[in-house]
Amino acid sequence: IGTLAIKHITLLLSVKELRHFHHSRAVLKIRPTAPVEFIEDKEKNKKPIVQDDLFERVAKKNKTKATFNRVVDVFTKQDVRRRGHVEFIYAALKKMPEFGVERDVTVYNKLLDVFPKEVFIPRNFIQTMFNHYPRQQECGVQLLEQMENYGVMPNVETKVLLLQIFGPKGHPMRKYQRLMYWFPKFKHVNPYPVPLQLPEDPVDLAKFSLNRIADDLDAKITVYQMPCTDLNESGQEITFPHIVGIQSPSQIDLLAKHNPKRPVFVEGPFPLWLKKICVYYYILRADPIPPEEKVEEPYDPERCFDYPLQLDLDLDRDLGDEENFDVEDLDEGPVFAMCMTNHGDQATLNQWISGLQETNPILGHIPTLFRLDSGTRELQVSVDFKPGPNQEHQESKPETEERTAEEVEEQPQIRHSMKQ
Amino acid sequence: MSLAQISRLSVTQLVLRSQSHHLLSSVYPLIISKRTVIQEPYRRPGQPKENKFPWEKINFDLSKGLKGIKKNFALLKKEFVERWVGPEGKPIIEHMLEQNRVVWEFRGAESLEEWTVSSDREIGGQSEAYVKLGRNNNTCLLYGTLRSTPPRDGETRYSGYCTMRSKQQLASFDRKKHFDWTSFNTLHLRVRGDGRPWMINISCETFFAHQKDDIYNYFLYTRGGPYWQDVKLPFSKFFLTHRGRIQDDQHCLWLDKVNTIGFTLGDKVDGPFQLEIDFIGVCKDYAHTEEFAYEVYKRNPEV
Repeated sequence: IGTLAIKHITLLLSVKELRHFHHSRAVLKIRPTAPVEFIEDKEKNKKPIVQDDLFERVAKKNKTKATFNRVVDVFTKQDVRRRGHVEFIYAALKKMPEFGVERDVTVYNKLLDVFPKEVFIPRNFIQTMFNHYPRQQECGVQLLEQMENYGVMPNVETKVLLLQIFGPKGHPMRKYQRLMYWFPKFKHVNPYPVPLQLPEDPVDLAKFSLNRIADDLDAKITVYQMPCTDLNESGQEITFPHIVGIQSPSQIDLLAKHNPKRPVFVEGPFPLWLKKICVYYYILRADPIPPEEKVEEPYDPERCFDYPLQLDLDLDRDLGDEENFDVEDLDEGPVFAMCMTNHGDQATLNQWISGLQETNPILGHIPTLFRLDSGTRELQVSVDFKPGPNQEHQESKPETEERTAEEVEEQPQIRHSMKQ
Repeated sequence: MSLAQISRLSVTQLVLRSQSHHLLSSVYPLIISKRTVIQEPYRRPGQPKENKFPWEKINFDLSKGLKGIKKNFALLKKEFVERWVGPEGKPIIEHMLEQNRVVWEFRGAESLEEWTVSSDREIGGQSEAYVKLGRNNNTCLLYGTLRSTPPRDGETRYSGYCTMRSKQQLASFDRKKHFDWTSFNTLHLRVRGDGRPWMINISCETFFAHQKDDIYNYFLYTRGGPYWQDVKLPFSKFFLTHRGRIQDDQHCLWLDKVNTIGFTLGDKVDGPFQLEIDFIGVCKDYAHTEEFAYEVYKRNPEV
């Protein structure tokens, strides 16, 4: 029995050794290269390390590029055979946004470096024809697809790595070639580009977005009020919202010609998207001028001496020379000014209107109506505007005029408070 | 999806090439053995196959048939009468000298019936898209909310789109009718957006069945703000995609049989959106001589 037992034990041992050999359990043992933070954890749970675990253990402490790189280093140095590298890369890709490295080419290259080199390269044309090592290739493609999603341009190092891992005809290599072909093609396709880093300061952001939507180089930006906090008499803190407005000289002209009997409207807020940020703007506009009130401006030939602004040549226009589309023009009424503020109530916008009065004195005589909307955010066109049941600002006309009269009276007080 | 397909670039990602992104909600290993049959329309994961013979789907209703007779013979009559006037119901001189044509304009509620609106609801997403007429019944307002949370069905990895697509034009007896835009080279739109990037999709009549999801795309960037924006997009810049992936073998758009046009939003930014369209037209731009903006003499990339 004793000899049998010994034999059994030796068998067991050999089986264990064999398993070690195959599973490379021995290599999983602690090495001096692994940082201290991983060592104690590994002793605790003897089961093979799940890759998510490795990241999560680090994620408790701090999530930076350095720790991310360290995790990758730990994995690559753990095992010569890089067992489970596909799972590791998938886990790493998933964790990248958490660590804030999803836009870093060097990190992607470091992840690609986890793949063992020269193993997955097909050796003959039949292997090339079929998907050689499909799981690994798929993983590589997935990595490149994540680069694509975040708009990261691969570099030469990526190419060299892909050549070393999958060879020149693998699917990841083709994905790389596609990226390199199409990305530069559409890099500057946006005619209204938004910078990668938008200004943090709300006033700067408002200036940028107003310049964008005004579409006029002559337009001038005025900051009517800087954001500030102040203490009033009773000791309470008042925050003044920022008010930034834009108006071009042609808009000033338009407003000066506006019939003072017809009201102008302050409308908003309308959304404007700048990449992921949504800002809101308000406009000052009027109803379209009815055709009987339209005045043909006599053309002034002395406005420009360099070249004629108007040519009245009696050329024979052919039928084929018609270059305008046969659609009726939309007349939605002129827009006189635009503004942005972070607090879109009537008092704030009143302050904007009173600020506008310095350049447009006519605004003092025109009734101003406020159509501030919090529900539907769309441009309102009021050709046949009907008062809705649940919008309180659309009241019958005399009332609104009374209200505006009150508002005009209020304005000086507000300005006083500003000066204080 | 096979490896050859997934290694192609996806179009919706490209719109936002220079844009920032939400984090990908999930990166799962793909299943390589799963092959989508190219003929099959989209079926949600887990949804059983409809086990019906094709003739079981036909509605043999008498009233429908009578209505159909009335509609189809009216259309047929129109076709015959139009032929006497000239091509497409216009005098020949007008047809030959035409410089621009308004294809879709939005005047009244019946013009909205030519369009279908859809969002990623049909794949299990949460976006919403609606279309209605603008305030003075002269424009089309496409609005809604985009949400890019992928459906929790274990397979779908990306989500978040809203589209508006024109319906296929039908002649009498449900034959397909196509637009012939061969005398034009530019698409002209008057739109007013809110700063979000859109994509314009043009689908043409194709010969082979496997090409039926081929679509030509280009980008439509909106400025935002209260002003209308005239956008001219040359047809030469449209590039070929198949089921959302850019193809290596690029060909220029053939304008003789255009079926539909569509607008897609999928910029991965969650939030409300709106796009107002005044009209969609085609015009002839003599200054534009480019035939195709992408290389056709070799495959892109050369492999």
